[in-house]
Amino acid sequence: MAATPTGCHLGGSLSVTDILIAALDRTADDPDSEVVLSKGHAAAGLYAAMHATGILTEDPVPHYGAASHHFTGHPGPSVEGVRFPTGSLGHGAPYALGWALSRRLSGRRGLGIAVLGDGELQEGLVWETFQVAAAQRVSNLVVVVDRNGGQNDGMVADISPQPELAARFEAFGFETAEVDGHDVGALRALFDTDRAEADRPLAVLADTVKGKGLRPVEGKAASHYVTIDAARAAAWKRIVR
Amino acid sequence: MTLAGRAAYRDELTQIAEYDPRILCLEADLGGKGHPFAVKHPDRFFNVGIAEGAMVDMAAGLAEGGYRPFVSTFAPFAVLRAAESMKLALGYLGAGITVVAPYAGVSGGWFGTTHHCLEDFAVVRAIPGVTVAAPYGEAEMRAVVRRAAVTGEPHYIRTGRNAAPLSLPWVGPEPPVVNWDVHGAEPDRTCLVSVGEVGTELCLAVRRSLPTLPHAHLCYLDQPHLERAAAELAEHYDRFVVVEEHRQAGGIASALALLLPGREVSSVNAGESWPVHGGSHEQVLDELGLNEAAVWAALAPHEVPPHGAPATPLEQEDTE
Repeated sequence: MAATPTGCHLGGSLSVTDILIAALDRTADDPDSEVVLSKGHAAAGLYAAMHATGILTEDPVPHYGAASHHFTGHPGPSVEGVRFPTGSLGHGAPYALGWALSRRLSGRRGLGIAVLGDGELQEGLVWETFQVAAAQRVSNLVVVVDRNGGQNDGMVADISPQPELAARFEAFGFETAEVDGHDVGALRALFDTDRAEADRPLAVLADTVKGKGLRPVEGKAASHYVTIDAARAAAWKRIVR
Repeated sequence: MTLAGRAAYRDELTQIAEYDPRILCLEADLGGKGHPFAVKHPDRFFNVGIAEGAMVDMAAGLAEGGYRPFVSTFAPFAVLRAAESMKLALGYLGAGITVVAPYAGVSGGWFGTTHHCLEDFAVVRAIPGVTVAAPYGEAEMRAVVRRAAVTGEPHYIRTGRNAAPLSLPWVGPEPPVVNWDVHGAEPDRTCLVSVGEVGTELCLAVRRSLPTLPHAHLCYLDQPHLERAAAELAEHYDRFVVVEEHRQAGGIASALALLLPGREVSSVNAGESWPVHGGSHEQVLDELGLNEAAVWAALAPHEVPPHGAPATPLEQEDTE
């Protein structure tokens, strides 16, 4: 999808894909659970993960960013399998919170899983939401932070660092878990954990690599948005790991 | 005087929730102690704290989960602080959320500019798919709340802070697109068009002095409703004075002027200045130049007040 005239948010899409595959695997057969990609700019990663897991039947690649197709650079509800519009950062967390609360009110055990970027944590709305989630003890809310260390203009650590992130979530009243964000098995285990007895929401800090799998761009803030030609795309596909 | 809009809303919603388990009530720390919904339906009442944006977005998740959430906070915080949440949740997503916004206009009086909202029509009417209502009086508020609950469609309901006068009567289950108040009115006169609590009060005051003037009251103000209202207005009159507690930019008069080409549409509004002084609602309105004298000025030269016409003050009664 980066090999189109529009290009795509490649680095963050590659960092979050394993998280999304694990989360979508968990929710695919559970209509009471919902995954919300709050960092909606990673739409290419979402479309790819949804297609890989069979949720999205149409191949998004030929149509990404194209006129008359709904695979826009930030996802919306016109895309099969996408419930909420995201891309303006911060909104996915409260959408997932509302979804999780609705399941609790209905006496169901589904999860609301919000997948955020670490740069996105600079939005005040997410902390407003975490405050509410903790106060209401919405234990079936799972917030996953794709901690790839980059954002649009550079590195999170240089722009607005987030020291003691786990402690921050703890202080807000969350359970926390830290995990390798590319260990799909470990992520699945976290998502499969029964939260019926929990009384706090869960924050999963998933350490990831921006541009994961493509050595030329791995870990580089410049991979945030990439436009490449077909030849480079073919070359990169040969070295992807 | 009847219940203030916000009190009527709370009572009506509490009653509706008795038989509709999908109804939820969310407040952002401005619902007051002893909220009737919280007393009657504590499991479906959520005071989320001072978190307006999160509240509207949460409501989107709740609506997608099968509920009909009503959220309420003061108009400036709902419309301006949570504007993007309203655009995305009520507009783009079309989630069945109702936002009830008291303290619209300058009804907060001495609370000052931060607590006033003279911009809400401009913002919310620009979001397609949202039904916009400014009920006048308790009966209209109750009817609008019922409509929102029954339809499950996105609604924005503007109201003031203070006790409200009696609603104008109407026939049918909900306020009509145009509620005609024309007893004693003559053809070929300037038609008063009232919007919201203050606009309607002022039009009624003018009509008490000059009953030959026709008066059209509008409760629903979103574009589809206004298009229908404009068609109905155009069938009967050629000259209109629209009275609204809103800025001129983005107000109802400007929308009607576009919908009524060839007709004369004048606006009486709250102007472009900032209400920086304290005082009662009426005193702040006077400072902004939104009063009966302004309506008469807009009616001139076609209509003039009868000799000795009283400049009826707005009746106000604070509720807290």
